[in-house]
Amino acid sequence: MNRIRIIKDRIAEGFTWLSSGISALVLIAIFVFIFKRGWSTLNWDLLKNNYNSENLMAGYDHIDWDEHGAFTAPDTLPEDAFFSEKYGVAFVDSINAAKESQMEVVFLDPESPLQDGKITTAGPRQGEKFGMEEGLFLKKISYINLEGEKKSAGLTATQGKTSEELVSVLDNDSQEVVDFYAQTEGGGLKGSIITTLLLIGLTLIIALPIGVFAAIYLHELAPKNKLTAWIRSSIELLSGVPSVIFGLMGMTMLFQVTRLMGITGQSTMLGALTLAVILLPVIIRQTEEALINVPDGYRMASLSMGATQFQTIYKIIIPNAMPGILSATLLSISRIIGESAALIFTMGTAIMDNPAWNSRGTSLAVHIWTVMSGEQPNFELASAISIVILIIVLILNVSVKYITYRMTRDKDDQKKNNKKAKATAET
Amino acid sequence: MTTEQQNKSKTLIRERSAKRRSLYKSVDRTMQFIFRLCGLIAALMIILIVFFVAARGIQVFLPGYENPVSLGEFLTGMRWRSDQGVYGVLFIVINTIITAFFAGLIAFPLSVLSALMIVKIAPKRLSNALTTVVELLAAIPSVVYGVFASGAITDIVEKIAGWFNYTTFGGNSMLAVILLLAIMIYPTITSMAVVAIRAVPESHELGSLALGASRTQTNFKVVLSSAKSGIFAGLILGLGRAFGEATAVSMVAGNAFVGPTWNPFDLTRTLTTTMLSGLHETVGVDYDVRFSVGIVLMIIILITNLAINALRKKMESGD
Repeated sequence: MNRIRIIKDRIAEGFTWLSSGISALVLIAIFVFIFKRGWSTLNWDLLKNNYNSENLMAGYDHIDWDEHGAFTAPDTLPEDAFFSEKYGVAFVDSINAAKESQMEVVFLDPESPLQDGKITTAGPRQGEKFGMEEGLFLKKISYINLEGEKKSAGLTATQGKTSEELVSVLDNDSQEVVDFYAQTEGGGLKGSIITTLLLIGLTLIIALPIGVFAAIYLHELAPKNKLTAWIRSSIELLSGVPSVIFGLMGMTMLFQVTRLMGITGQSTMLGALTLAVILLPVIIRQTEEALINVPDGYRMASLSMGATQFQTIYKIIIPNAMPGILSATLLSISRIIGESAALIFTMGTAIMDNPAWNSRGTSLAVHIWTVMSGEQPNFELASAISIVILIIVLILNVSVKYITYRMTRDKDDQKKNNKKAKATAET
Repeated sequence: MTTEQQNKSKTLIRERSAKRRSLYKSVDRTMQFIFRLCGLIAALMIILIVFFVAARGIQVFLPGYENPVSLGEFLTGMRWRSDQGVYGVLFIVINTIITAFFAGLIAFPLSVLSALMIVKIAPKRLSNALTTVVELLAAIPSVVYGVFASGAITDIVEKIAGWFNYTTFGGNSMLAVILLLAIMIYPTITSMAVVAIRAVPESHELGSLALGASRTQTNFKVVLSSAKSGIFAGLILGLGRAFGEATAVSMVAGNAFVGPTWNPFDLTRTLTTTMLSGLHETVGVDYDVRFSVGIVLMIIILITNLAINALRKKMESGD
């Protein structure tokens, strides 16, 4: 080989290194970006809070105030908090994202009478138990002062606009609390997480049986003819259809199906049906892969023992193909969590706190879409949700990889064992 | 036991086993029917999708429709103003094809070279690591790419635009869409190319090496051209993904009203972003016209598939 050849080869090889390097860099860039933007926003409160903040008023007209005595502040109280010894509650002043001052309840003594309130706001929740709780943003408290007059204090009242003032008013001037007006903390993901779980459950219930059965038909039962070839190529085509088109299909075709169930608009059920169609090719391919791995000897042995075809499928083939079906399930879950376009059409983009199978809702992915497509895109929240999605999806994909690895290893082991057995038999 | 009793019990047993056999047979048949039904349902879906989307999409052009859209104007129009009732899809089609084409132009060489690296050049450990990189890129959901694009890629585009003394709309531009799509279709093409290169018979390589070609020459000239068919299949899949990608693209496209967009720093509008924009209404032309756009998208994907297949055949016969 001459020198020019060597240099040329080096350059060509250098390009392959370069392009692989670029791909790795892009991956790292994505992860760094998402984690940097979202990590500080991510916490448990975010995961368990409602998205829409609620304004609620709760009253205490049924409480005997004489029973309760003095409370002592806990050691864990933050330094900027003010503690009311009379009622066992502590507040902190802060400023929210919209630059409004707010007063957060940071501590409530478990013995405090303030926790036994009832909602007095008109509406379906009127009369429901709801008291002061940690994490609430207090707007106003009404109380009876020492002269027996009803007064109010708090952010929206004329006095007690800071925590310090409010606590001193409550401790020095009040006999009892009449009611309070507060806002619950919003911006949480609880509703979307529940919707996502609901969606996963519904979709798998619909898609798994159809997909697995179709795979069994194609691999175990189908004759080798034109019809089968057509079925195969149709399913192959289905996997190339973009997800927006599936969304459109959901809006026209599957919408009729959900209408039979009495649903009039977009719904989680409609999203699940659409996702089921999207997942069919995935499930069928994965399951067939597993069926191919089931040795033919098992089938023949079972049939020759007098088992019927269904018995063979049910008792021999499906149990042996279980790892493949499992990995199909995990892959499906990761697709469901990541899917957005089709769901925007079929489930809507309104974030719901109390999701149901027959009402609208957003999965985590669509939640990202909603907060990003508003007037003010909320990068921090979007990145935080992205972290959640990425972690789940990565775990699922690693599990699938592990299962596939185990499956192929078992098969290799079998081959080796067969060879060994043959060799020993020959000797 | 008398012979009579013996005969009686024998017939009883025979009857029972016959009954059981017929039960098994009917279970077998029912299950076979169910399995076949599931297979048919899965296969019918594609036809149903095309039928339902087409039926709804054609509706807006028919004379019976309230405010019908003219098919000619729809197909040749260069303006999309849903607020004025003007629906022209031609510039959107051109935009879609341009963005996908350039994304393919960036991603295809990178993909093929990476695949070659993974299969032939890299040592085992590195090869496994790179495979994982590709798999992870493929597993990242499209919304997450969207968040990344509208945060990071738009910044880069804004900087590049600054060098050319252009101002962008916060980085939302055709270039951002192209870069985003290139990243998104890279894993698709790469994984297909890896499969194709793995399938190249060793004898081809050995033959080339025996003729005195260097390892690298063999990889680039023999291995790649033997794997051509599979690599092109990957390109088809990748372009299909580029055409159909919706959520991520619509986060950075900006939805221009007129076009086609030639300046990479200008806003653009693709078929999918058009379908996703302004989803508030659920009746009327504005809603139904999405389905017409959907038909156009399906036709473009189909034509691309056919064209690349034809190209591949031509290249194969040319060898």
